[in-house]
Amino acid sequence: MTEPTPIVRIVDDDASFLKAIARLLRGAGFTVKPFVSAVEFLAQPELDVPGCVLVDLQMPGLSGLELQDVMARTGHRLPVIFLSGHGDVPSTVRAMRQGAEDFLTKLAPKEDLIEAVKRAVRRDCNERAERARQKELRAPFATLTPREVEVLQHVVQGKLNKQIAYDLGIHERTVKLHRTAITTKLGVQSNAELMRLWIAVQGTEA
Amino acid sequence: MDAAICLTLAGIYFAAWLQSRSMWGYLFFTFSALGSAAIAACELLLMRSETVEQFGRVDWLSHFPLCVLLVSIVWFTRFHLRAGWPWLGWAVIATRILMLVMNIFSPPTINFRVITGLHRVSFLGETIFTPEGVLNPWANVGKLSSVLLLIFLITATVEVSRRKKRVDLFLSGSLMFFITAAALHAALVERGIVKSPYLISFAFLGVILTMAYGLSSDVLRASQLVVMLQASEAGLRESEERMTLAAEAANLGIWISDLARQEIWATQKWRELFGFSGSDQLDLEGILQRVHPEDREVVNQMLTKVLASGGNYEAEYRLLLRDGKIRWIASRGRVEFNGNGKPALLRGVSVDVTQRHAVELEVQQQRAELAHFSRVSMLGELSGSLAHELSQPLGAILRNTEAAELFLEDPSPDMDELRAILADIRKDDQRAGAVIDRMRSMMKRRAVEHGMLDLNMLAADVIGFVRRDADLRKVRLTLEPASSLPLMRGDRIQLQQVLLNLLLNAMDAVSDSTPDRRRVAVLVRLADKRAEVVVSDTGHGIPEDKLPRVFEPFFTSKQNGMGLGLPISRTIIEAHGGSIQAKNDPDGGAIFCFTLPMAGEGGSS
Repeated sequence: MTEPTPIVRIVDDDASFLKAIARLLRGAGFTVKPFVSAVEFLAQPELDVPGCVLVDLQMPGLSGLELQDVMARTGHRLPVIFLSGHGDVPSTVRAMRQGAEDFLTKLAPKEDLIEAVKRAVRRDCNERAERARQKELRAPFATLTPREVEVLQHVVQGKLNKQIAYDLGIHERTVKLHRTAITTKLGVQSNAELMRLWIAVQGTEA
Repeated sequence: MDAAICLTLAGIYFAAWLQSRSMWGYLFFTFSALGSAAIAACELLLMRSETVEQFGRVDWLSHFPLCVLLVSIVWFTRFHLRAGWPWLGWAVIATRILMLVMNIFSPPTINFRVITGLHRVSFLGETIFTPEGVLNPWANVGKLSSVLLLIFLITATVEVSRRKKRVDLFLSGSLMFFITAAALHAALVERGIVKSPYLISFAFLGVILTMAYGLSSDVLRASQLVVMLQASEAGLRESEERMTLAAEAANLGIWISDLARQEIWATQKWRELFGFSGSDQLDLEGILQRVHPEDREVVNQMLTKVLASGGNYEAEYRLLLRDGKIRWIASRGRVEFNGNGKPALLRGVSVDVTQRHAVELEVQQQRAELAHFSRVSMLGELSGSLAHELSQPLGAILRNTEAAELFLEDPSPDMDELRAILADIRKDDQRAGAVIDRMRSMMKRRAVEHGMLDLNMLAADVIGFVRRDADLRKVRLTLEPASSLPLMRGDRIQLQQVLLNLLLNAMDAVSDSTPDRRRVAVLVRLADKRAEVVVSDTGHGIPEDKLPRVFEPFFTSKQNGMGLGLPISRTIIEAHGGSIQAKNDPDGGAIFCFTLPMAGEGGSS
């Protein structure tokens, strides 16, 4: 794979803990990048590099949950693992609802921590691959003309050429021409294939 | 009869003089009266003398009492009336003594060079004799003396008249009159102008009676004084008894130390309090020995201080009784100085306050219990940030240990890295220990311990305590310490608790504000010789109608507050001799401030 090495980002205001956990994860074979605050992390997120973020739940300035919020709003897709001094139920619920990858206490067993990080990194890699595939699938759709898109939308609803022609107020022959252009541009052989592609692309609507 | 009156009066006033030796007037009056009596006797003899020799002898003799009488009058005037020109007095005495001396050496008598014969004269139905002879010119010295005496009396009368004392004026005026009468009469008899015997003793009787009158008003006054004195003595005795009774009723022991004589007197009650019997000899050293060894030095220093610089003292200290029991004593006292500015008397009152101390101790324990309760509940509020503070170092230690284990799996581990890990573990362990110590100091049930403390440092400690919490709640917490602040006495934990309570309240108060308006400021400063700590926030403030009630127990604006934090804070501050107030900042927000007295002022031991 030509994919860059995943990086485990760690955000914690406690320098001593930051150093210790970075040491452990580095020892466990991860590439680690520590940050002492959420702001510092947001300044250089290196979005291209896969991995995950370990975030201290309680931090002065931007807290862990707020960082997660900001990331969600700005389209950061890195999996977030929360680290907390103690299991505080409302925070946990909120974190998970916002799509946290995991929620660990600072004193969680090493195995759990490493497993969570591995899982998060793996998921990120998978998601990135999936996204790349989706992107690849979606690329031909961009070449369609507006009229072709209109025709396509009717086609996937299972409408007959006659109905489409009537709905769009064009000739049935013109509809056929559009359909041929569509199948050619999207590189599909049959109507069934077109439907499968359509469904696959629908799932990744951004 | 004349002589008898004089002798009686002489007797009375001699007795009076013996009673009060400083009343020289009495003594000279006695002499005058004696002299006058003797003169009267002489005159009687003169009247009865049938021969020239006999007459001359008696006349010669009569000069002695005359001299005594007149000299006594001069002294009487000086001592009793405190009037007359002294040098005139001396001149009278000198001439009179000169007269007496001349009389001794010029027989038959100074009055006559020769007595030629005696006239038989019928006087008031009696046959008496008057002399006839050649007058001695030296006898004029006697006249001179009499004139001088007269002038002396005139000067005295003038002096007395200015004093507006009628008795004295009457006395000196009468003396003047009778002396004039006596001198004139004698001169007329001697010159044979008046055919009568020497009757100057009657004039002198007048003098004596006048003197007696003057003195009797004194005696009368004195006796009145005696009556009044007796009455006031009785009153004094009664008030003393009343005071002793009151002192006994109030269980007050009284002691007085005469510093000059090194004597200490104390009431029975005081002796009972300090465990002395009625017969024990008291001294300061012995009393100090009864004081509890831990308090002895303080009491000793206090006494030394008041003895040196005067003023009042007030102290509470323990006595260690013979049976090993402790008795609390409250003492107040005062040092009195004599005219030379040296301490003369030390008066003190002591009372047994053991009972009160027991009650106070109980109250103090309850208060400490309540304070502890409040501290623990505050820790509950802080538990989130405390757990975090503790989990940081513990988490770091765990991760470092796990990292080290991983490194050790390597056949050639990086020793420098391992050493760095161990150093970090030690550091984090100490950090965790500090957090636990701090928590434990707040959690511990403990008695109040007053020690010297730096309020700036105390405030910094408390802020360190809540810093984490404030950060998480996005509250900007600032401390402005006092530039110079003397150490003060107080219970560190309790004062920390007060400040912690105020800070937590302030942080709660700003939690609804937007993050840029969440500010809490602590200010430590010296104001009016008191230390002041001000906690201000930028919250909504306290509604004016609730302001007077914020220190009331169970008054709370928080949903799950108990309303005990502020009342307990107030109790703590007041137990430190300080005060605590709440007010609203005109610019918004609430201000809580407490003041504490500086050490060495207003603090009781």
